Formats: sequence, structure tokens, C-alpha cells
Amino acid sequence: MKKLIYRFLIAATTTFPFDLSAQEFKTTNGNVEFLSKASFNEFTGTSDHLNGLMDLTKKTFDFYLDLNTLKTGIGLRDRHMRENYLETKKYPFAEFSGMIQEPFTLQIGESREVTAKGKFKIHGVEKNISVPGKLTAVSDSELRLEAEFKLMLTDFNISIPSVMFYELSEEQVVTINSLLKKK
Amino acid sequence: MKLKLIILLLLISHPIYAQLERKLVNESQTVDLIFHAPRQINLFTVEPLEKKDLHFAIMHTFGTLDGGVQNLFGLDNGANIQFSFEYGVSRKFSLGIARSSRDKVYNIYGRYHFFQQTRDNKVPFSFSMMGAAGVNTSDYSFLGDDNPTFEERSSFAAQLMFARKFNDKFSFQVSPLAAYFVDPRPDYLIEGNSNLYFALGFSGKYKITGKSSLTLQWIPNLHSELKNNVGVGIDIEAGGHVFQMYFVTTQALNEQYLLAGGNGVPGEDFRIGFNVNRIFATGVKRKS
Repeated sequence: MKKLIYRFLIAATTTFPFDLSAQEFKTTNGNVEFLSKASFNEFTGTSDHLNGLMDLTKKTFDFYLDLNTLKTGIGLRDRHMRENYLETKKYPFAEFSGMIQEPFTLQIGESREVTAKGKFKIHGVEKNISVPGKLTAVSDSELRLEAEFKLMLTDFNISIPSVMFYELSEEQVVTINSLLKKK
Repeated sequence: MKLKLIILLLLISHPIYAQLERKLVNESQTVDLIFHAPRQINLFTVEPLEKKDLHFAIMHTFGTLDGGVQNLFGLDNGANIQFSFEYGVSRKFSLGIARSSRDKVYNIYGRYHFFQQTRDNKVPFSFSMMGAAGVNTSDYSFLGDDNPTFEERSSFAAQLMFARKFNDKFSFQVSPLAAYFVDPRPDYLIEGNSNLYFALGFSGKYKITGKSSLTLQWIPNLHSELKNNVGVGIDIEAGGHVFQMYFVTTQALNEQYLLAGGNGVPGEDFRIGFNVNRIFATGVKRKS
């Protein structure tokens, strides 16, 4: 019996990892955009530093973004955003990890609409969200991920300037576009 | 033992949830907002502009408070107003122009940031400098032949700024200042009569809520007869604007006049002052 377990374990450690790692895709320079559409002022915060890992075999994913890298185009606004709204010194990362819901297979050149369900964390607050996205197998070693979803800042205890100037929208449209490469 | 080892191996090679290690893109990134804006009360701060950013500041000081309600605490007595535009040539260097109503002085100035404090304290403080050249454009035709020439109307200022954000709440800046008047005439609205002036500026900021801070300024004038400048105020960030309201002992708003213009006695001759700071980005393409 014990021998059997050994055999199974040895088989598991030596065979599966190869197959699994072959299905892991990674990026360190994905593009993220936060669109804030307020009545008088529309602006975006963008970053090209999205880090992500997707495992197509297990259908899991893990993404994070260093929020310090978000740029809105106005330096002082960036600093106010980091210091007062996102508080990046305390909460440097936005994180999203979970699983892709539906089973799917991808041939090279094919695209699939998928639903990603998992824990999204920003500003120290964690919420379970479900996000529609599109996966495209660009080549046998490249996977493109595109997604767009909405976030309410108050859900994550991010206060928006209230009275005088409506510059920041409560609703943020997040767009992700990233090319993941086989590990 | 062997079993444990194999299980360990299994766990290492088969993480249930593949998780990435969270890493900051830049460990020694510069500290944010040592001060709320490029200006605080009367003095420039080390707060830089991004390339192509335009900083607009409108500053006012009013008459002394001692007129009481009759003069609405000095607001009735002619304000000194200064408009300034400062443009970020690069992240290190910005150029500006200011116009102050007192003696109708136009000032061109530049700020250069040598280095900035970083979060990991590898650089423990920020160091910047500013230089300004100004000309008094008031009408002195009543002086007849004695009407000052362009050169005689010129004045210059220089300032070094050393600042550190000690923690999330408290920041402090020390700024040695110098000003030079080519011809310090009594006709000008200055109180000193020497060409060269020195002072040491101290600025402090203490955050009271997320978006507002108490501010403090003390500029001991190294010209003994020209009393020291004292200012206390509050900075409020409101969606892209920084409002600064303060009590201060001088009516001057540009650097040369700040040093040569004289000061009232703290407690007796305070005035109300008010700055609005706004940054515009000129380099950002609008998305349609």
C-alpha cells in the first residue's frame, strides 16, 4: 500500500508539473486603464505594469498592479490620488485572483468569452466579483487577455471629493489589455 | 520521512493557487506631497511639476486685521494680488512668470530640483532652488528726470529649499533666501534701504485630515530693522485645487518684496491672505 502511494506521488511530482507548467502564462507589463467619467471632467489613470499569471489547466489566475505606477497625466493629481484616495503607501497593490468559471479549450487564433470570478482587493478592502473577459490564443506561447468592468470606489472605502469640484467619478471603468507569455 | 519529503515536493510543484509574489515596481520612489502645492503661504516649496504641467496660482493679501468689522478685517483695504504661471519644462526644471500688483512687479523665475526624498530613505530629503528676476513697472513720471531706468527698477531673488517629509503628517522646509535691489528707492513700496537682503525661511505642514493641513511659516529677516515674517494658515485640497488661507504679517507676495518689504508685528498687524493653486496638464492628449 505504502509502495503504491510512493509510486503515485513520484508519478505525480514527475509527470504532471511538466504538463501544468506548460499551460502557465505570465505577464509583467499588462496595460490597465481606469476611466473616471465625472460630469465636468473625464480622465484616465493608466499603467503598463500589470503583473499576471494564468494557469489554463487549473483555470486559475492571479493579477496584481502596483498602484504607484498609475498615471493620470497631471503630476499633482497623481500625487493627490496616491496620497489621499488610494493611499498607496499603506495599500500599494490592487489584486485580483480567482478562477475562470466555464470550461473551455483554445486553438491558436481562437477567442473565448469567459467569466473570471474571484477576490478583488484594493485600498485594503476585499470583495468577491465576477468579471467578463476575452481570451485569445495568439500563438502557442502567447495569450491575450482583454477585460472591461466597473468598480464603485465607495465599495472599497475610497472617498471622493464631495462638495466643490466633481472631478473624480464614483464609478471607475477598468480596462485590461495584456499579452501573457508562456512561462 | 521520505513520504514527507515527497509530499513537500508535491506541494512545491503543485501550488493550489499559483500566486505571484507582490513586488513594487520602484522601491525607492520619490515621496509624495511633502507639501500640498508648489507654494505654501509666501514661499515656494520643493513640490515639483511634471513635464508640460502648468501651475497657476492666484495669491492675495489684504489690509491689516485691526480695522475690525468696519473694514471687514482688512478686506476693504486694497489687496495685493499676484498671478503666476509656472510651466514644467522637465520634471526637474520649471519656468514661471508672476505679476504682483504691489509696485506692478513682473517676475520671471525658475525652479530646479536637484534631488527628491525617496520612500526608502535612500535620499532623506529634497533639495531644490529657485531664482527670480523682476522689474517694477509702476508709473514714476511724477519724479521727472529722476524717473528710474529699467535697470534701476530691477530686483533679483534666490532661494534654496531643503525639505523633508518626516511622516505622513509632518513636513518641514528650511529655505535660505536672498534678494537684491539695484536701486532700493524710498519711492518703492519697500521698507529697507539696502541693496542686499538675507533671510531664512521655515515652512511647516501638519496634516489634520486627509485633505487639509495646518501650515506655518516663519521667516526671520536677517535685516534687524525689518521684523520677521510670521504666517499661519490652512491648506485644503478640493478636487484638483489647493486652497490656502492664512494670516500673515506681510503684504508682499513676491520673493524680493518679501525680504525688503517689511513686516508687521505678529499679533498686531496680521492680515488675511488667500492663495488658490491649480495645475493644468498641457501635454495630455484628450481622448475623443
